[in-house]
Amino acid sequence: MNTATVLKAIDITKKFPETVANEGINFSLHKGEIHALLGENGAGKTTFMNILYGIYMPTKGEIRINDKPVQIKTPLDAINNGIGMIHQHFMLVEPLSVLENIVLGLKDQGIVIDRKAVKDKLKEIANLYSLEVNPDKKIWQLSVGEQQKVEIIKVLFRGANILILDEPTAVLRPQETEPLFDILRKMKKDGKAIIFITHKLDEVMAVSDKISILRKGRLVKTVDKESVTKKQLAEMMVGRAVLFDFEKKEKRAKETLLSVENLDVYSAQQGVNIVEDVNFTVKKGEILGIAGISGNGQQAIVQTIAGLRKATRGSVVFEGKNITNKTPRYVAQIGINYIPADRIGMGLASDLSCIDNAIMRNYYKKPISSNRIINYKKSEEHTRRIVDMFNIAVADIFAPIKLLSGGNMQKLLFARELFENPKLLIASYPTRGLDIASTEFVRKQMLKIRDEDMSVILISEDLDEILSISDRIAVVYKGKIMGIADAKDIDKNTIGLMMAGTRLEDIAL
Amino acid sequence: MIYFEKRENISAKLKIVIPIVSLLIGILFGALAIVVVGINPYAVYKSLFVNAFGSWYAFSETLVAATPLMLITAGLILVFKMGIWNIGAYGQYIMGAILSSYFAIFMPPEISKPLMLILMFAGGAIGGAIWAVIPAIFKVFWEVNEVITTLLLNYIALYVLKFLMYGPWKNPKSFGFPLSKPFPSSAQLPVLFEHTRINLGLAFALISIIAVWFIIKKTNFGYEVRVIGNNPTTAKYAGISVGKNIIIAMAISGALAGIAGMVQVSGIIHFLQVKINANYGYTSIIVAWISYLNPALCLLSSVLFGGLESGGYSIQISMRVSYGIVGLIESIALFSIVGAQIFLNYKLRWKK
Repeated sequence: MNTATVLKAIDITKKFPETVANEGINFSLHKGEIHALLGENGAGKTTFMNILYGIYMPTKGEIRINDKPVQIKTPLDAINNGIGMIHQHFMLVEPLSVLENIVLGLKDQGIVIDRKAVKDKLKEIANLYSLEVNPDKKIWQLSVGEQQKVEIIKVLFRGANILILDEPTAVLRPQETEPLFDILRKMKKDGKAIIFITHKLDEVMAVSDKISILRKGRLVKTVDKESVTKKQLAEMMVGRAVLFDFEKKEKRAKETLLSVENLDVYSAQQGVNIVEDVNFTVKKGEILGIAGISGNGQQAIVQTIAGLRKATRGSVVFEGKNITNKTPRYVAQIGINYIPADRIGMGLASDLSCIDNAIMRNYYKKPISSNRIINYKKSEEHTRRIVDMFNIAVADIFAPIKLLSGGNMQKLLFARELFENPKLLIASYPTRGLDIASTEFVRKQMLKIRDEDMSVILISEDLDEILSISDRIAVVYKGKIMGIADAKDIDKNTIGLMMAGTRLEDIAL
Repeated sequence: MIYFEKRENISAKLKIVIPIVSLLIGILFGALAIVVVGINPYAVYKSLFVNAFGSWYAFSETLVAATPLMLITAGLILVFKMGIWNIGAYGQYIMGAILSSYFAIFMPPEISKPLMLILMFAGGAIGGAIWAVIPAIFKVFWEVNEVITTLLLNYIALYVLKFLMYGPWKNPKSFGFPLSKPFPSSAQLPVLFEHTRINLGLAFALISIIAVWFIIKKTNFGYEVRVIGNNPTTAKYAGISVGKNIIIAMAISGALAGIAGMVQVSGIIHFLQVKINANYGYTSIIVAWISYLNPALCLLSSVLFGGLESGGYSIQISMRVSYGIVGLIESIALFSIVGAQIFLNYKLRWKK
């Protein structure tokens, strides 16, 4: 397969004030090729893609498109060079129709949209790649999978020959990924070149032709798919022989710590119950994993326990006390600590200092505060203890926390909640964005507190994570629990089916 | 093509340059307006400066004007830090002036001076606080935008004042002018420096700035204010009662504006009338912005704007230039400073 090189990156280096995100990356992409870019979170994949798409300028290095050196300074330059990007978080305007989203920002449209011409072109694209979406529907009426199709169509509509997909399967159910791969294969046949960013090995093996592995900002190796195994890829990705294998002590938890009964949560915004008739218990000293595609109500369930949402029906009982619809402060004080999924939007105050963030749970308690006045010396000591114990890389604890890397922010948040010695820790995606070492550390911490008879509710998209550390696993779909099973009695396939809306009892029978 | 590039860090140098340049742009536009009416702008500005800072008496008048600015701005800093846009200091100032004047007009003049002043002080604080808590309650319970409610309450306050001045509180001996009867001497704030109008109000102002600084930096409440201002969702998550804090902060902000109104009628004017310089309430918004919501800087900017105010009155008489020039300078400076915020986070780049 020696076809024309459509994109070549030579010696790309990107330095940030604190770190080197990319160093000496040489990368080439050919016509009709699906090239997977594999790497851990924080390996520099996103930085590299942002350079190709004109969001960052490289500190050093050259990009060639069709053997011509180009300067990509803005996304517009990238689009003009035939590069299209499909972001993980869709860039769509919800109240507008599919067609309007597709022509949005196009300069040749004039004042009035020529709907007929656009629809004709859309039909053409639909036929070529089986990308069918009703152009008159509004974005908010579409499923996530369909929205992703719109994003792809948008890029093709602008004449892209090089498509970059940033973790496209992260938002999809397992059953939705195969149709996406079909679309990718059709585009490949048509001569498009595709860069596929992921950290999931199965997907890499299923769809790509070539694989480049990034680690700590460097490109470790580019290989043909036929010439490697999954195990080798994993080792290259992590830099040593892995995989996560935790020593999980056999344990029989008995005493019930938390029980949730017939819980309904109504969302006025969406006009539906986002949690419906949910029942489960958490026992002392157990890790309960909640699996599910994000947006299926798992956040709402734990936020209701944490007092951040109102239950419309049902009850939450903790240590025999009814704590339904209590305030977040009350819930935190009786020993339930919550690590939210959205660390910048909820867990941290990004413009405030590391100290201000570190004391968020105890700023009103002794010894940090007395007579309603905060002792900043004590606060500083508290912050340093957290930072040291969890090895958080902080240049200046007085500087705004937003200057930390995502992984270090997450570590501080995790440490802050753990420092409160909770009886129940609710952790939403606690390892998202962490490097290997920190991920391992966080997972071990969760297992450690479990062994100390504390309990954990773990929400994660990473099925390997859920399977390896949970004692029991609940799977949610559209706000309902599809079933709860012991971790050792369930496999990924079953979880995948449940995530798509099949009840456990229907699978077992 | 010109485009913006995000800065890695906020530029400290620009933080100093922007307010100065903004003020200069305001002065430049003011100069243009002065030229249009055929007067030499250099002479006008020179006269303005001399009348604001040129002598001890001029400077004392600057401090007199700076006093209400400090009081109001201190309160605005607290609520602005929280992301609550109180545009209603104008009305809160008026209500404070009205309620404190009530005691001066209707209490028997024989009561002792300290008691009278304490009553007036409390009246000022409560009048302003009520006027600020009303929109805060609407905001917290029904999510009504406080910018609109605080602004509309300004007009209501003004008409309440006009009603009283043309009606029940009008002095029958004022020959039809809308004035109250003069305050007894027990209702007048003591002057601090002889031959000036600097009164005890300046001490209130300095104390309030220190108090606001202390609240924000050192107390639980101040911590909560900062977290809410950064992100209300985070605050809610941390167990902070956002609504309660909004109401308390608005009450403090309104009380300080009301005290400013009390200082003006009790310390300077010595009776109640329709024109009690309530515009300080709007000027203070500019002062708060130009000081980056920093209490220490607010001291400096208040004196600067106080100079602009008092110097502005003088040029009206000495140079026959409308006082409106001062309003023009202030508003253009605010315009530039708000517009220039983008340069703190982004830098301009040129590309061919």
